[in-house]
Amino acid sequence: MEITVKIFRYNPEKDTRGSYVTYKVDADENDRILDVLEVIKGKVDGTLAFRRSCAHGVCGSDAMRINGRNMLACKTLIRDVGTNITVEPVLGLKIQKDLIVDMEPFFDNYRKMLPYLINDSPLPADGRERLQSPEDRARFDESTKCILCAACTTSCPSYWANGEYYGPAAIVTAHRFIFDSRDEGAAERLHILSETDGTVRCHTAYNCTEACPREIQITKAIGEVKMAMVTGKLD
Amino acid sequence: MGLTRNVGLMTALRYKGQGPFLTYILHRIGGLGMAVFISVHLLASFISGPGGRLVNNIYQSWIFQIFIFFCVLFHAINGLRITILDLFPKLIPYHRQAITIEWVVFAAVYGFAVFTIIRTGLGG
Repeated sequence: MEITVKIFRYNPEKDTRGSYVTYKVDADENDRILDVLEVIKGKVDGTLAFRRSCAHGVCGSDAMRINGRNMLACKTLIRDVGTNITVEPVLGLKIQKDLIVDMEPFFDNYRKMLPYLINDSPLPADGRERLQSPEDRARFDESTKCILCAACTTSCPSYWANGEYYGPAAIVTAHRFIFDSRDEGAAERLHILSETDGTVRCHTAYNCTEACPREIQITKAIGEVKMAMVTGKLD
Repeated sequence: MGLTRNVGLMTALRYKGQGPFLTYILHRIGGLGMAVFISVHLLASFISGPGGRLVNNIYQSWIFQIFIFFCVLFHAINGLRITILDLFPKLIPYHRQAITIEWVVFAAVYGFAVFTIIRTGLGG
């Protein structure tokens, strides 16, 4: 069948503003949006720029707005979005070319969350791993699923309004370590998140939860971090 | 050099965030509506003559009352939902059900209020 794909195009070497270009291509209803973009780039217009890597919903490279909503191009089928498709870059990050945005501010915020295990205590007597019960592991299991695709952060109206806000993905990263029983950096991370650009900017629009391709309950994670800040308890 | 990161109001409103995003937008419209109402109410107290009467007529009209009651009621019920979910994060995965309940309560109360306002407004 023939589908119509309207794609946002912007070439920083020629354009002062973006525009939309419409392509008509043959595709199957079970094809993914990423397949369609590959066909356009390979057979119609080789100048089209977009990010991709694993193409299986794991690397998080191809988050984009598809029919007005953040999704991963590699996990979205044509049958789920119809035959008239609009593809645009995510919002809130500078567009570098076509569907490619500057991810550096996003990763800056990620790094501010100290995304690594902090534990200066001596290793257990056997000198091997720090053991953890299944229950303790389950406490932060959901936030380990984040693939840093930025679909959540770039769907957040608070982030659109203020790029200094750390954003949902960074807070999910903090959640992953704050509630890890082996980690000793919770107080430091909660202090960072209590700043004006931290969790206080979350106004529960739920766009992040709706956009997450890994179906992480992001607003719940943010809510748990907020509660930990208020009560000082990590239960 | 890339295009700016700024997101315009219309671009933001066009984002298809679905039900929860709609309540987020309506919550802000409700807050803005109440601020306008209170401002106009205060302004009317200081303006005399035809200007004051015009302002009074606007915010006392039944059409404006329907609008302002929407703002107040939606803002209140939605605020209550947000507060409950903020206090009990374990309930957040049920936010869609919470929004459904919110709309049911809102529709019942608002429907009754609109009926009463219109009946009174039309002299019934």
